[in-house]
Amino acid sequence: MDWTKQLGRYVVVMLLQVLLFDQLQLWGACHPYIYILCLLMLPITLPHSVDMLIGAVVGLVMDIFCNSLGIHTASCILLMFVRPYLLGVIVNDKDRLNEQIHLRTLGMEAFIKYVVILVFIHHLMVFSLAAWSWHHIGFVLLETVVSGVITCFIIIGYNILKYR
Amino acid sequence: MQTLIKILLRYSNFLVFIALEVAAFMLISMNNAYPRSSMLSTANDVVAWQNEQISEIKGYFSLRSQNEQLAAEVAALRNQLCSMDSSENKAPIHYQHVKVVQMTTDRLHNYLTINRGSKDGIQRGQGVRNEEGVVGIVKTVGRNYSVVLPLINTHSNLSCRFAKNDYAGTLKWDGKDNRFAQLADVSAHMVANPGDTIITSGLSPVFPEGIPVGIVESSVLKAGDSYLTITVRLSTNFKRLKYAEVVQNADQNELEELTNGLD
Repeated sequence: MDWTKQLGRYVVVMLLQVLLFDQLQLWGACHPYIYILCLLMLPITLPHSVDMLIGAVVGLVMDIFCNSLGIHTASCILLMFVRPYLLGVIVNDKDRLNEQIHLRTLGMEAFIKYVVILVFIHHLMVFSLAAWSWHHIGFVLLETVVSGVITCFIIIGYNILKYR
Repeated sequence: MQTLIKILLRYSNFLVFIALEVAAFMLISMNNAYPRSSMLSTANDVVAWQNEQISEIKGYFSLRSQNEQLAAEVAALRNQLCSMDSSENKAPIHYQHVKVVQMTTDRLHNYLTINRGSKDGIQRGQGVRNEEGVVGIVKTVGRNYSVVLPLINTHSNLSCRFAKNDYAGTLKWDGKDNRFAQLADVSAHMVANPGDTIITSGLSPVFPEGIPVGIVESSVLKAGDSYLTITVRLSTNFKRLKYAEVVQNADQNELEELTNGLD
């Protein structure tokens, strides 16, 4: 696997996140975190614990940009923890997992399931940790749905354009 | 012993997961507690520099409203100059002009980053205002940049009072609308009318007394409540905020040392 390519993709996605998506202030509830694209599309050839460490580092960098120390870190670790189990459940043909993770290798249906479930887990965790009380539960759910839909749309769209 | 090692190996991934999550949650609680590393926030030089470039670019799109704001400020200062009373000797307060390089207004925990840091004498706990009114309080100080906790952050707490009498309350924000905040701890027997002005109380050294905070929008007494539910329209328009002033009270350190000694 070409790791420089993965790193390059991370840098581009992170620039897009910080320069474009963090600047959006639409409807007050739209904060798509598209940077998890590079975590979702990371091949699962590495040991599980290394995967989670990568998640922690990626989350920590995002936290520094958001002034939200720990929130993205915790969410990305959870995301990377759940990932292999989820793949095990929704992908029947295990040989497919030895390659990269994208639309062509997983197939349309499995890939959409994979992205939607993980994006919503991550976004729900980020927004509920940020709110940190039941008082804002309605807003947290709204924020999760609005932002999650946009993130899914962008990640799946990118895959349709590139790997169809 | 061997079985123990086997069990540990078997669940090693889960243990790594738990360890990492515990570390992350420690970071979260550290972030809410008192001292915080400025490296791990937008007071970080690299991140703040990047934000400053973005705000430079965005600045071109708001030149007109900036001009209007500056004109209004000039007028206000001129008025102040005319009515200045030199005999009035107030606390030694210095205002430092700062530029807002980054800000969010649509989250529960909004922050803003300003382009001055410890090398310019900014300290944690100093107040930040602009010509309209109170902005917030300095939270994290880096060398060249600082992070400010504005009124529109659910962690924000500001002691203020009615301008018409001395009834004091605490201004908090419910996270909903960045134009309005809520004034808590005002007893039900107080009569608050829409249009009443709320100003800083001067009870803490952070802000001198009398800086505008907002205007009462509505005041309701809910059944069974002994405190009024007061909504305040904030004087500061956070959406448009580009420049601010840090309030540097020469006596602040001494006053804080005195109150800390009381605990």
